[in-house]
Amino acid sequence: MSDPQSQPSRKSRRTFLAKGAAAVSGMAAMAAALEPLRHLNDFTNVEEFLRKHYKELTPDELDARLKVIEKQVEQRHGVQATVKDLKPMDGVEFVYCLNLTRCIGCRKCVHACVAENNQFRSPEVQYISVIKMPQGTFDMEKGEHDYDAATVPEEGSFYMPVQCHQCRNAPCVQVCPVEATWQEPDGITVVDYDWCIGCRYCMAACPYFARRFNWKKPTIPKEEINPDMSLLGNRPRPVGVVEKCHFCLQRTRAGKYPACLEVCPTGSRKFGNILDPDSEVSHILREKRVFVLKEEAGTSPRFYYYFDT
Amino acid sequence: MNGNRKPDPALWGLTALFAVLVPVLLLGRDPGDRPAAEPTLVDDVFRTGASIRLSARELIEDEGDTSGMECYACHEEGKIAKLHKDEGGLVAASTNHLDLVYARLNCAGCHKESEEVDLEWDDDDNLIIPLHHRQPPMRHGRFGRNNDCYNCHVPEKLDKVRTRKGELFDLKDSTQLCASCHGPAYREWEQGVHGRQNGYWNRKLGQSARQDCTSCHDPHSPAFPSMRPAPGIAHTAERAPTSGESSHE
Repeated sequence: MSDPQSQPSRKSRRTFLAKGAAAVSGMAAMAAALEPLRHLNDFTNVEEFLRKHYKELTPDELDARLKVIEKQVEQRHGVQATVKDLKPMDGVEFVYCLNLTRCIGCRKCVHACVAENNQFRSPEVQYISVIKMPQGTFDMEKGEHDYDAATVPEEGSFYMPVQCHQCRNAPCVQVCPVEATWQEPDGITVVDYDWCIGCRYCMAACPYFARRFNWKKPTIPKEEINPDMSLLGNRPRPVGVVEKCHFCLQRTRAGKYPACLEVCPTGSRKFGNILDPDSEVSHILREKRVFVLKEEAGTSPRFYYYFDT
Repeated sequence: MNGNRKPDPALWGLTALFAVLVPVLLLGRDPGDRPAAEPTLVDDVFRTGASIRLSARELIEDEGDTSGMECYACHEEGKIAKLHKDEGGLVAASTNHLDLVYARLNCAGCHKESEEVDLEWDDDDNLIIPLHHRQPPMRHGRFGRNNDCYNCHVPEKLDKVRTRKGELFDLKDSTQLCASCHGPAYREWEQGVHGRQNGYWNRKLGQSARQDCTSCHDPHSPAFPSMRPAPGIAHTAERAPTSGESSHE
Protein backbone atom coordinates (compact mmCIF):
# COMPACT_ATOMS: atom_id res chain seq x y z
CA MET A 1 0.00 0.00 0.00
CA SER A 2 2.96 2.20 -0.42
CA ASP A 3 3.91 4.10 -3.55
CA PRO A 4 1.30 3.40 -6.24
CA GLN A 5 -1.59 4.08 -3.86
CA SER A 6 -0.22 6.92 -1.81
CA GLN A 7 0.78 9.00 -4.82
CA PRO A 8 -2.75 9.85 -6.00
CA SER A 9 -3.98 10.32 -2.43
CA ARG A 10 -1.27 12.88 -1.69
CA LYS A 11 -2.02 14.56 -4.97
CA SER A 12 -5.73 14.75 -4.30
CA ARG A 13 -5.15 16.22 -0.85
CA ARG A 14 -3.06 18.97 -2.34
CA THR A 15 -5.62 19.52 -5.04
CA PHE A 16 -8.34 19.65 -2.43
CA LEU A 17 -6.51 22.26 -0.42
CA ALA A 18 -5.78 24.40 -3.47
CA LYS A 19 -9.32 24.09 -4.80
CA GLY A 20 -10.74 24.69 -1.36
CA ALA A 21 -8.71 27.87 -0.85
CA ALA A 22 -9.70 29.13 -4.30
CA ALA A 23 -13.36 28.34 -3.65
CA VAL A 24 -13.39 30.03 -0.23
CA SER A 25 -11.67 33.16 -1.44
CA GLY A 26 -13.85 33.09 -4.55
CA MET A 27 -16.98 32.99 -2.42
CA ALA A 28 -15.62 35.73 -0.22
CA ALA A 29 -14.94 37.84 -3.32
CA MET A 30 -18.44 37.17 -4.59
CA ALA A 31 -19.94 38.12 -1.24
CA ALA A 32 -17.90 41.31 -1.32
CA ALA A 33 -19.05 42.04 -4.86
CA LEU A 34 -22.69 41.57 -3.87
CA GLU A 35 -22.30 43.61 -0.72
CA PRO A 36 -23.82 46.80 -2.23
CA LEU A 37 -27.09 44.89 -2.64
CA ARG A 38 -27.55 45.09 1.10
CA HIS A 39 -27.89 48.85 0.77
CA LEU A 40 -30.48 48.50 -1.95
CA ASN A 41 -33.61 48.94 0.10
CA ASP A 42 -35.61 50.01 -2.94
CA PHE A 43 -36.69 46.42 -3.52
CA THR A 44 -38.38 45.99 -0.21
CA ASN A 45 -41.09 43.63 -1.37
CA VAL A 46 -42.30 41.51 -4.23
CA GLU A 47 -45.29 43.74 -4.97
CA GLU A 48 -42.92 46.60 -5.63
CA PHE A 49 -41.07 44.45 -8.11
CA LEU A 50 -44.21 43.15 -9.86
CA ARG A 51 -46.04 46.50 -9.98
CA LYS A 52 -48.18 47.40 -13.00
CA HIS A 53 -48.21 50.28 -15.44
CA TYR A 54 -50.21 53.26 -14.16
CA LYS A 55 -52.92 52.79 -16.76
CA GLU A 56 -53.44 49.13 -15.81
CA LEU A 57 -53.97 49.79 -12.12
CA THR A 58 -57.46 49.16 -10.75
CA PRO A 59 -58.75 51.83 -8.35
CA ASP A 60 -57.88 49.63 -5.37
CA GLU A 61 -54.39 48.93 -6.66
CA LEU A 62 -53.93 52.63 -7.28
CA ASP A 63 -54.86 53.46 -3.69
CA ALA A 64 -52.43 50.82 -2.47
CA ARG A 65 -49.74 52.29 -4.71
CA LEU A 66 -50.31 55.77 -3.28
CA LYS A 67 -49.94 54.38 0.23
CA VAL A 68 -46.71 52.61 -0.73
CA ILE A 69 -45.27 55.82 -2.11
CA GLU A 70 -46.30 57.78 0.97
CA LYS A 71 -44.45 55.21 3.05
CA GLN A 72 -41.41 55.39 0.79
CA VAL A 73 -41.33 59.17 1.07
CA GLU A 74 -41.45 58.87 4.83
CA GLN A 75 -38.64 56.29 4.87
CA ARG A 76 -36.36 58.09 2.47
CA HIS A 77 -37.02 61.72 3.27
CA GLY A 78 -38.55 61.63 6.75
CA VAL A 79 -41.58 63.65 5.73
CA GLN A 80 -45.29 62.90 6.13
CA ALA A 81 -46.61 63.58 2.66
CA THR A 82 -49.98 63.14 1.01
CA VAL A 83 -49.67 61.58 -2.41
CA LYS A 84 -52.76 62.03 -4.55
CA ASP A 85 -53.69 61.05 -8.04
CA LEU A 86 -55.57 64.00 -9.47
CA LYS A 87 -57.39 63.20 -12.69
CA PRO A 88 -57.81 65.57 -15.65
CA MET A 89 -60.96 67.69 -15.46
CA ASP A 90 -63.67 67.38 -18.09
CA GLY A 91 -63.76 70.19 -20.65
CA VAL A 92 -60.31 71.45 -19.73
CA GLU A 93 -57.29 71.73 -21.99
CA PHE A 94 -54.37 73.59 -20.49
CA VAL A 95 -52.39 76.16 -22.41
CA TYR A 96 -49.53 78.38 -21.35
CA CYS A 97 -48.79 81.84 -22.76
CA LEU A 98 -45.63 83.78 -22.07
CA ASN A 99 -45.21 87.48 -22.75
CA LEU A 100 -41.76 88.15 -24.18
CA THR A 101 -42.26 91.91 -23.96
CA ARG A 102 -42.63 91.72 -20.18
CA CYS A 103 -40.21 88.97 -19.11
CA ILE A 104 -37.15 90.50 -17.45
CA GLY A 105 -35.19 87.25 -16.99
CA CYS A 106 -35.15 87.30 -13.15
CA ARG A 107 -35.28 83.45 -13.00
CA LYS A 108 -37.75 83.44 -10.12
CA CYS A 109 -39.87 80.95 -12.05
CA VAL A 110 -36.94 78.52 -12.22
CA HIS A 111 -36.55 78.35 -8.46
CA ALA A 112 -40.23 78.43 -7.57
CA CYS A 113 -40.56 75.38 -9.82
CA VAL A 114 -37.74 73.56 -8.04
CA ALA A 115 -39.31 74.27 -4.65
CA GLU A 116 -42.78 73.18 -5.75
CA ASN A 117 -41.82 70.03 -7.61
CA ASN A 118 -39.32 68.38 -5.26
CA GLN A 119 -36.46 68.28 -7.71
CA PHE A 120 -33.09 66.86 -6.80
CA ARG A 121 -30.96 69.66 -5.32
CA SER A 122 -27.32 68.67 -5.70
CA PRO A 123 -26.85 69.55 -8.43
CA GLU A 124 -30.19 71.16 -8.95
CA VAL A 125 -32.55 69.83 -11.60
CA GLN A 126 -34.29 72.75 -13.26
CA TYR A 127 -37.28 72.35 -15.57
CA ILE A 128 -37.18 75.92 -16.87
CA SER A 129 -34.26 77.34 -18.84
CA VAL A 130 -34.35 81.10 -19.18
CA ILE A 131 -32.47 81.99 -22.33
CA LYS A 132 -31.03 85.43 -22.80
CA MET A 133 -31.21 86.45 -26.43
CA PRO A 134 -29.81 89.48 -28.23
CA GLN A 135 -32.56 91.75 -29.51
CA GLY A 136 -33.29 91.42 -33.19
CA THR A 137 -32.82 87.70 -33.67
CA PHE A 138 -34.42 84.37 -32.86
CA ASP A 139 -31.29 82.40 -33.58
CA MET A 140 -31.21 80.11 -30.56
CA GLU A 141 -27.49 79.57 -31.04
CA LYS A 142 -26.97 83.17 -29.96
CA GLY A 143 -28.88 82.50 -26.76
CA GLU A 144 -27.16 82.34 -23.41
CA HIS A 145 -28.48 80.11 -20.67
CA ASP A 146 -26.17 80.81 -17.79
CA TYR A 147 -26.07 84.60 -17.91
CA ASP A 148 -24.96 86.34 -14.77
CA ALA A 149 -25.71 90.01 -14.33
CA ALA A 150 -25.94 92.36 -11.36
CA THR A 151 -29.39 93.40 -12.49
CA VAL A 152 -31.75 92.32 -15.24
CA PRO A 153 -33.02 93.15 -17.81
CA GLU A 154 -29.80 94.00 -19.57
CA GLU A 155 -29.71 96.57 -22.34
CA GLY A 156 -30.13 95.03 -25.79
CA SER A 157 -31.34 91.63 -24.58
CA PHE A 158 -34.63 89.88 -24.26
CA TYR A 159 -35.35 86.76 -22.22
CA MET A 160 -37.09 83.62 -23.30
CA PRO A 161 -37.97 81.00 -20.68
CA VAL A 162 -38.28 77.50 -22.16
CA GLN A 163 -39.88 74.53 -20.45
CA CYS A 164 -41.94 71.51 -21.52
CA HIS A 165 -44.28 72.67 -24.28
CA GLN A 166 -46.81 69.85 -23.70
CA CYS A 167 -46.92 69.24 -27.46
CA ARG A 168 -50.04 67.92 -29.15
CA ASN A 169 -47.76 65.91 -31.42
CA ALA A 170 -45.15 64.99 -28.85
CA PRO A 171 -41.98 63.33 -30.15
CA CYS A 172 -41.02 62.21 -26.63
CA VAL A 173 -44.21 60.17 -26.33
CA GLN A 174 -43.70 58.56 -29.73
CA VAL A 175 -40.15 57.38 -29.03
CA CYS A 176 -40.72 55.93 -25.57
CA PRO A 177 -40.17 52.16 -26.00
CA VAL A 178 -42.14 51.23 -22.88
CA GLU A 179 -45.01 53.76 -22.96
CA ALA A 180 -43.86 55.30 -19.72
CA THR A 181 -44.83 58.77 -20.94
CA TRP A 182 -48.12 59.79 -22.53
CA GLN A 183 -50.47 62.68 -23.07
CA GLU A 184 -53.44 63.10 -20.76
CA PRO A 185 -56.83 64.44 -21.92
CA ASP A 186 -56.11 67.88 -20.42
CA GLY A 187 -52.98 68.16 -22.56
CA ILE A 188 -50.34 67.43 -19.94
CA THR A 189 -47.70 64.92 -20.95
CA VAL A 190 -46.92 62.87 -17.85
CA VAL A 191 -44.27 60.32 -16.91
CA ASP A 192 -44.91 57.13 -14.93
CA TYR A 193 -41.72 57.26 -12.87
CA ASP A 194 -42.22 53.63 -11.85
CA TRP A 195 -42.33 52.49 -15.45
CA CYS A 196 -39.53 54.57 -16.98
CA ILE A 197 -36.45 52.51 -17.79
CA GLY A 198 -34.19 55.53 -18.14
CA CYS A 199 -33.20 54.98 -21.77
CA ARG A 200 -33.37 58.76 -22.38
CA TYR A 201 -34.76 58.43 -25.92
CA CYS A 202 -37.35 61.07 -25.01
CA MET A 203 -34.61 63.51 -24.07
CA ALA A 204 -32.99 63.03 -27.44
CA ALA A 205 -36.32 63.46 -29.21
CA CYS A 206 -37.41 66.67 -27.46
CA PRO A 207 -36.65 69.72 -29.60
CA TYR A 208 -37.01 72.02 -26.57
CA PHE A 209 -34.50 70.36 -24.25
CA ALA A 210 -37.27 70.06 -21.68
CA ARG A 211 -36.58 66.69 -20.09
CA ARG A 212 -34.16 65.96 -17.27
CA PHE A 213 -32.57 62.75 -16.03
CA ASN A 214 -31.93 61.73 -12.42
CA TRP A 215 -28.31 60.69 -12.49
CA LYS A 216 -28.16 60.10 -8.77
CA LYS A 217 -30.38 58.99 -5.98
CA PRO A 218 -32.28 62.21 -5.38
CA THR A 219 -31.59 63.94 -2.10
CA ILE A 220 -33.72 66.80 -0.92
CA PRO A 221 -33.32 68.46 2.48
CA LYS A 222 -36.25 67.50 4.68
CA GLU A 223 -37.41 71.05 5.29
CA GLU A 224 -37.41 71.76 1.57
CA ILE A 225 -39.85 69.00 0.63
CA ASN A 226 -43.26 70.00 -0.60
CA PRO A 227 -45.55 67.45 1.09
CA ASP A 228 -48.47 68.10 -1.28
CA MET A 229 -47.63 65.46 -3.87
CA SER A 230 -49.13 63.85 -6.87
CA LEU A 231 -48.33 60.44 -8.33
CA LEU A 232 -47.61 61.59 -11.88
CA GLY A 233 -46.37 64.99 -10.77
CA ASN A 234 -44.08 66.18 -8.02
CA ARG A 235 -43.54 63.18 -5.79
CA PRO A 236 -39.80 62.50 -5.34
CA ARG A 237 -38.40 60.56 -8.26
CA PRO A 238 -36.17 57.48 -8.03
CA VAL A 239 -32.69 57.46 -9.52
CA GLY A 240 -32.40 56.68 -13.23
CA VAL A 241 -35.70 58.06 -14.49
CA VAL A 242 -36.62 61.02 -16.65
CA GLU A 243 -38.74 63.90 -15.42
CA LYS A 244 -39.98 67.23 -16.74
CA CYS A 245 -42.43 70.09 -16.31
CA HIS A 246 -46.01 68.85 -15.94
CA PHE A 247 -47.68 72.26 -15.58
CA CYS A 248 -47.65 71.64 -11.79
CA LEU A 249 -50.49 69.17 -12.19
CA GLN A 250 -50.82 68.82 -8.42
CA ARG A 251 -51.81 72.52 -8.42
CA THR A 252 -53.45 73.04 -11.79
CA ARG A 253 -55.74 70.00 -11.58
CA ALA A 254 -56.92 71.44 -8.27
CA GLY A 255 -57.78 74.71 -10.02
CA LYS A 256 -54.70 76.72 -9.02
CA TYR A 257 -52.14 78.46 -11.17
CA PRO A 258 -48.75 76.78 -11.58
CA ALA A 259 -45.90 77.79 -9.25
CA CYS A 260 -43.86 79.56 -11.95
CA LEU A 261 -46.79 81.85 -12.72
CA GLU A 262 -47.40 82.64 -9.05
CA VAL A 263 -43.96 84.14 -8.52
CA CYS A 264 -43.50 85.95 -11.80
CA PRO A 265 -43.09 89.59 -10.69
CA THR A 266 -44.02 91.03 -14.07
CA GLY A 267 -47.10 88.99 -14.91
CA SER A 268 -45.45 87.62 -18.05
CA ARG A 269 -46.81 84.15 -17.47
CA LYS A 270 -50.43 83.31 -18.25
CA PHE A 271 -52.07 79.96 -17.83
CA GLY A 272 -55.55 78.61 -18.25
CA ASN A 273 -58.15 76.59 -20.04
CA ILE A 274 -58.21 77.14 -23.78
CA LEU A 275 -61.69 75.61 -24.02
CA ASP A 276 -63.07 78.44 -21.87
CA PRO A 277 -63.56 81.47 -24.15
CA ASP A 278 -63.35 83.86 -21.17
CA SER A 279 -60.00 82.64 -19.90
CA GLU A 280 -56.89 84.82 -20.10
CA VAL A 281 -55.20 82.43 -22.52
CA SER A 282 -58.17 82.47 -24.89
CA HIS A 283 -58.07 86.26 -24.87
CA ILE A 284 -54.35 86.24 -25.63
CA LEU A 285 -54.69 83.76 -28.49
CA ARG A 286 -57.50 85.88 -29.99
CA GLU A 287 -55.95 89.31 -29.55
CA LYS A 288 -52.15 89.04 -29.43
CA ARG A 289 -49.36 88.29 -31.82
CA VAL A 290 -48.62 84.74 -30.81
CA PHE A 291 -46.01 82.28 -32.01
CA VAL A 292 -44.68 78.87 -31.06
CA LEU A 293 -41.06 77.90 -30.75
CA LYS A 294 -39.61 75.70 -33.51
CA GLU A 295 -42.87 75.56 -35.41
CA GLU A 296 -41.06 73.71 -38.18
CA ALA A 297 -40.57 70.73 -35.85
CA GLY A 298 -44.29 70.06 -36.23
CA THR A 299 -44.81 69.46 -32.54
CA SER A 300 -47.81 71.79 -32.18
CA PRO A 301 -47.03 72.94 -28.64
CA ARG A 302 -49.49 74.08 -25.99
CA PHE A 303 -46.97 76.71 -24.95
CA TYR A 304 -47.26 80.04 -26.76
CA TYR A 305 -45.06 83.11 -26.76
CA TYR A 306 -46.53 86.51 -27.47
CA PHE A 307 -45.73 90.21 -27.63
CA ASP A 308 -47.55 93.16 -26.16
CA THR A 309 -47.20 95.52 -29.06
CA MET B 1 -9.47 19.11 -13.72
CA ASN B 2 -7.29 16.44 -15.16
CA GLY B 3 -5.81 14.49 -12.27
CA ASN B 4 -2.48 14.00 -14.03
CA ARG B 5 -1.80 17.75 -14.44
CA LYS B 6 -0.70 19.83 -11.52
CA PRO B 7 -3.53 22.28 -10.85
CA ASP B 8 -1.70 24.19 -8.16
CA PRO B 9 -0.28 27.33 -9.87
CA ALA B 10 -3.54 28.25 -11.58
CA LEU B 11 -5.61 27.63 -8.49
CA TRP B 12 -3.25 29.45 -6.17
CA GLY B 13 -3.20 32.32 -8.68
CA LEU B 14 -7.00 32.44 -8.63
CA THR B 15 -6.97 32.30 -4.85
CA ALA B 16 -4.59 35.25 -4.73
CA LEU B 17 -6.73 37.16 -7.23
CA PHE B 18 -9.91 36.58 -5.22
CA ALA B 19 -8.16 37.44 -2.01
CA VAL B 20 -7.11 40.76 -3.52
CA LEU B 21 -10.61 41.33 -4.90
CA VAL B 22 -12.27 41.01 -1.50
CA PRO B 23 -10.82 44.17 0.06
CA VAL B 24 -10.99 46.03 -3.26
CA LEU B 25 -14.69 45.31 -3.64
CA LEU B 26 -15.45 45.99 -0.03
CA LEU B 27 -13.59 49.27 0.12
CA GLY B 28 -14.30 50.60 -3.36
CA ARG B 29 -17.93 51.66 -3.17
CA ASP B 30 -20.33 52.06 -6.01
CA PRO B 31 -20.12 55.77 -6.85
CA GLY B 32 -23.91 56.06 -6.85
CA ASP B 33 -23.90 55.15 -3.20
CA ARG B 34 -21.60 57.98 -2.19
CA PRO B 35 -23.39 60.72 -0.28
CA ALA B 36 -24.53 63.45 -2.63
CA ALA B 37 -22.98 66.88 -2.63
CA GLU B 38 -24.16 69.48 -0.18
CA PRO B 39 -27.51 70.62 -1.51
CA THR B 40 -27.35 74.00 -3.12
CA LEU B 41 -30.30 75.96 -1.95
CA VAL B 42 -31.39 79.21 -3.37
CA ASP B 43 -32.33 82.20 -1.27
CA ASP B 44 -36.01 82.37 -0.34
CA VAL B 45 -36.03 85.87 -1.76
CA PHE B 46 -35.97 84.35 -5.23
CA ARG B 47 -38.98 82.19 -4.50
CA THR B 48 -41.30 84.71 -2.94
CA GLY B 49 -44.38 85.76 -4.80
CA ALA B 50 -44.45 89.16 -3.08
CA SER B 51 -44.98 92.11 -5.37
CA ILE B 52 -42.25 94.72 -5.47
CA ARG B 53 -44.48 97.58 -4.33
CA LEU B 54 -47.57 98.16 -2.28
CA SER B 55 -50.35 100.16 -3.80
CA ALA B 56 -52.00 102.80 -1.62
CA ARG B 57 -54.98 100.48 -1.26
CA GLU B 58 -52.75 97.60 -0.12
CA LEU B 59 -50.85 99.88 2.25
CA ILE B 60 -54.09 101.03 3.87
CA GLU B 61 -55.62 97.55 3.99
CA ASP B 62 -52.45 96.03 5.48
CA GLU B 63 -52.37 98.85 8.04
CA GLY B 64 -48.91 99.87 6.91
CA ASP B 65 -47.25 103.19 7.52
CA THR B 66 -49.56 105.70 5.84
CA SER B 67 -48.13 108.74 7.57
CA GLY B 68 -46.58 109.86 4.30
CA MET B 69 -50.06 110.11 2.83
CA GLU B 70 -51.18 112.72 5.31
CA CYS B 71 -50.38 115.55 2.93
CA TYR B 72 -51.58 118.33 5.19
CA ALA B 73 -49.27 117.36 8.00
CA CYS B 74 -46.70 119.41 6.07
CA HIS B 75 -48.60 121.26 3.38
CA GLU B 76 -50.91 124.09 4.24
CA GLU B 77 -54.50 123.49 3.24
CA GLY B 78 -55.76 125.90 0.63
CA LYS B 79 -52.27 127.02 -0.30
CA ILE B 80 -51.03 125.54 -3.54
CA ALA B 81 -47.59 123.97 -3.19
CA LYS B 82 -45.04 125.34 -5.61
CA LEU B 83 -43.16 122.90 -7.82
CA HIS B 84 -39.39 122.93 -7.97
CA LYS B 85 -37.58 122.08 -11.16
CA ASP B 86 -34.07 120.81 -11.65
CA GLU B 87 -31.58 122.13 -14.22
CA GLY B 88 -33.10 119.91 -16.89
CA GLY B 89 -36.49 121.49 -16.34
CA LEU B 90 -37.92 118.32 -14.80
CA VAL B 91 -39.98 118.53 -11.65
CA ALA B 92 -37.86 117.53 -8.68
CA ALA B 93 -40.08 116.18 -5.93
CA SER B 94 -39.05 117.13 -2.43
CA THR B 95 -36.96 114.59 -0.55
CA ASN B 96 -39.53 114.97 2.22
CA HIS B 97 -41.56 112.53 0.22
CA LEU B 98 -38.96 109.80 0.71
CA ASP B 99 -40.75 108.28 3.72
CA LEU B 100 -43.73 107.65 1.54
CA VAL B 101 -41.52 106.19 -1.16
CA TYR B 102 -40.07 103.72 1.34
CA ALA B 103 -43.46 102.81 2.74
CA ARG B 104 -44.62 101.92 -0.74
CA LEU B 105 -41.70 99.67 -1.55
CA ASN B 106 -42.37 96.07 -0.58
CA CYS B 107 -39.05 95.06 0.98
CA ALA B 108 -40.03 91.36 0.98
CA GLY B 109 -40.16 91.42 -2.81
CA CYS B 110 -36.37 91.67 -2.97
CA HIS B 111 -34.87 91.27 0.54
CA LYS B 112 -34.84 88.81 3.39
CA GLU B 113 -35.78 90.04 6.83
CA SER B 114 -32.40 89.08 8.25
CA GLU B 115 -30.38 90.34 5.31
CA GLU B 116 -27.35 92.48 6.01
CA VAL B 117 -27.17 95.44 3.70
CA ASP B 118 -23.90 97.14 2.81
CA LEU B 119 -24.48 100.82 3.32
CA GLU B 120 -22.34 103.31 1.46
CA TRP B 121 -21.56 106.84 2.50
CA ASP B 122 -20.44 109.76 0.40
CA ASP B 123 -17.59 112.18 1.19
CA ASP B 124 -19.81 114.35 3.38
CA ASP B 125 -20.91 111.33 5.43
CA ASN B 126 -24.34 111.23 3.86
CA LEU B 127 -25.90 107.86 3.26
CA ILE B 128 -25.97 106.98 -0.42
CA ILE B 129 -29.47 105.72 -1.01
CA PRO B 130 -29.51 102.89 -3.52
CA LEU B 131 -30.88 103.83 -6.90
CA HIS B 132 -34.11 101.85 -6.75
CA HIS B 133 -35.01 103.43 -3.43
CA ARG B 134 -34.54 107.01 -4.39
CA GLN B 135 -37.53 109.10 -5.28
CA PRO B 136 -37.03 108.80 -8.99
CA PRO B 137 -37.03 111.91 -11.10
CA MET B 138 -40.34 112.35 -12.80
CA ARG B 139 -40.24 109.99 -15.73
CA HIS B 140 -43.87 109.42 -16.51
CA GLY B 141 -44.29 109.70 -20.23
CA ARG B 142 -41.54 109.52 -22.75
CA PHE B 143 -41.07 113.09 -23.87
CA GLY B 144 -41.23 114.99 -20.63
CA ARG B 145 -44.80 116.01 -21.33
CA ASN B 146 -46.29 114.42 -18.24
CA ASN B 147 -43.93 115.67 -15.62
CA ASP B 148 -46.15 118.02 -13.72
CA CYS B 149 -47.39 116.80 -10.31
CA TYR B 150 -50.71 118.52 -10.94
CA ASN B 151 -51.43 116.51 -14.07
CA CYS B 152 -52.69 113.85 -11.67
CA HIS B 153 -52.59 115.30 -8.16
CA VAL B 154 -55.11 117.97 -7.28
CA PRO B 155 -53.42 121.19 -6.10
CA GLU B 156 -56.23 122.10 -3.75
CA LYS B 157 -56.79 118.55 -2.48
CA LEU B 158 -53.44 116.83 -2.27
CA ASP B 159 -54.92 113.54 -1.05
CA LYS B 160 -56.94 113.14 -4.24
CA VAL B 161 -56.06 112.47 -7.85
CA ARG B 162 -57.90 113.79 -10.85
CA THR B 163 -58.32 112.59 -14.43
CA ARG B 164 -58.11 114.87 -17.44
CA LYS B 165 -61.89 114.91 -17.53
CA GLY B 166 -61.94 116.16 -13.94
CA GLU B 167 -63.12 113.03 -12.14
CA LEU B 168 -61.72 112.87 -8.61
CA PHE B 169 -60.45 109.65 -7.02
CA ASP B 170 -58.95 108.71 -3.68
CA LEU B 171 -55.32 107.60 -3.82
CA LYS B 172 -56.41 104.04 -3.10
CA ASP B 173 -58.52 104.03 -6.29
CA SER B 174 -55.70 105.25 -8.46
CA THR B 175 -56.19 102.36 -10.90
CA GLN B 176 -59.17 104.29 -12.29
CA LEU B 177 -56.96 107.31 -12.81
CA CYS B 178 -54.43 105.21 -14.77
CA ALA B 179 -57.31 103.75 -16.79
CA SER B 180 -58.34 107.23 -17.92
CA CYS B 181 -55.27 107.41 -20.16
CA HIS B 182 -54.13 103.79 -20.54
CA GLY B 183 -57.25 102.29 -22.05
CA PRO B 184 -55.80 99.23 -23.80
CA ALA B 185 -53.66 98.26 -20.80
CA TYR B 186 -56.66 98.73 -18.52
CA ARG B 187 -58.90 96.54 -20.69
CA GLU B 188 -56.24 93.82 -20.67
CA TRP B 189 -55.86 94.19 -16.92
CA GLU B 190 -59.61 93.68 -16.55
CA GLN B 191 -59.26 90.49 -18.62
CA GLY B 192 -56.41 89.34 -16.37
CA VAL B 193 -53.97 89.56 -19.26
CA HIS B 194 -51.97 92.63 -18.21
CA GLY B 195 -50.25 92.30 -14.87
CA ARG B 196 -50.29 89.62 -12.27
CA GLN B 197 -53.24 87.39 -11.61
CA ASN B 198 -52.73 84.94 -8.76
CA GLY B 199 -54.66 82.19 -7.04
CA TYR B 200 -57.07 79.99 -8.98
CA TRP B 201 -57.46 79.79 -12.76
CA ASN B 202 -60.68 77.90 -12.07
CA ARG B 203 -62.93 80.51 -10.46
CA LYS B 204 -65.40 77.81 -9.38
CA LEU B 205 -62.79 76.26 -7.12
CA GLY B 206 -61.28 79.39 -5.61
CA GLN B 207 -60.58 83.08 -5.74
CA SER B 208 -58.10 84.80 -7.95
CA ALA B 209 -56.48 88.05 -6.98
CA ARG B 210 -55.56 90.90 -9.27
CA GLN B 211 -53.21 93.63 -8.20
CA ASP B 212 -53.42 97.38 -8.66
CA CYS B 213 -51.39 99.25 -11.26
CA THR B 214 -49.24 100.72 -8.50
CA SER B 215 -48.45 97.28 -7.03
CA CYS B 216 -45.90 96.97 -9.81
CA HIS B 217 -45.53 100.43 -11.35
CA ASP B 218 -44.31 103.50 -9.54
CA PRO B 219 -46.73 106.11 -10.91
CA HIS B 220 -43.94 108.69 -10.98
CA SER B 221 -41.63 106.40 -12.95
CA PRO B 222 -43.78 103.60 -14.30
CA ALA B 223 -41.20 101.45 -16.07
CA PHE B 224 -40.71 98.15 -14.20
CA PRO B 225 -37.44 98.45 -12.27
CA SER B 226 -34.48 96.20 -12.90
CA MET B 227 -33.93 93.36 -10.43
CA ARG B 228 -31.17 91.13 -9.18
CA PRO B 229 -31.55 87.83 -11.04
CA ALA B 230 -31.69 84.52 -9.20
CA PRO B 231 -28.65 82.28 -9.73
CA GLY B 232 -28.55 80.16 -12.86
CA ILE B 233 -27.65 76.53 -13.31
CA ALA B 234 -23.95 77.12 -12.59
CA HIS B 235 -24.58 77.88 -8.93
CA THR B 236 -25.36 74.24 -8.36
CA ALA B 237 -22.37 72.96 -10.34
CA GLU B 238 -19.87 75.18 -8.52
CA ARG B 239 -20.46 73.51 -5.20
CA ALA B 240 -20.55 69.96 -6.57
CA PRO B 241 -18.18 67.51 -4.85
CA THR B 242 -14.63 67.05 -6.07
CA SER B 243 -15.36 63.52 -7.21
CA GLY B 244 -14.71 64.35 -10.83
CA GLU B 245 -18.37 64.33 -11.69
CA SER B 246 -19.65 67.16 -13.75
CA SER B 247 -23.01 68.82 -13.45
CA HIS B 248 -25.93 66.92 -14.91
CA GLU B 249 -26.08 68.96 -18.07
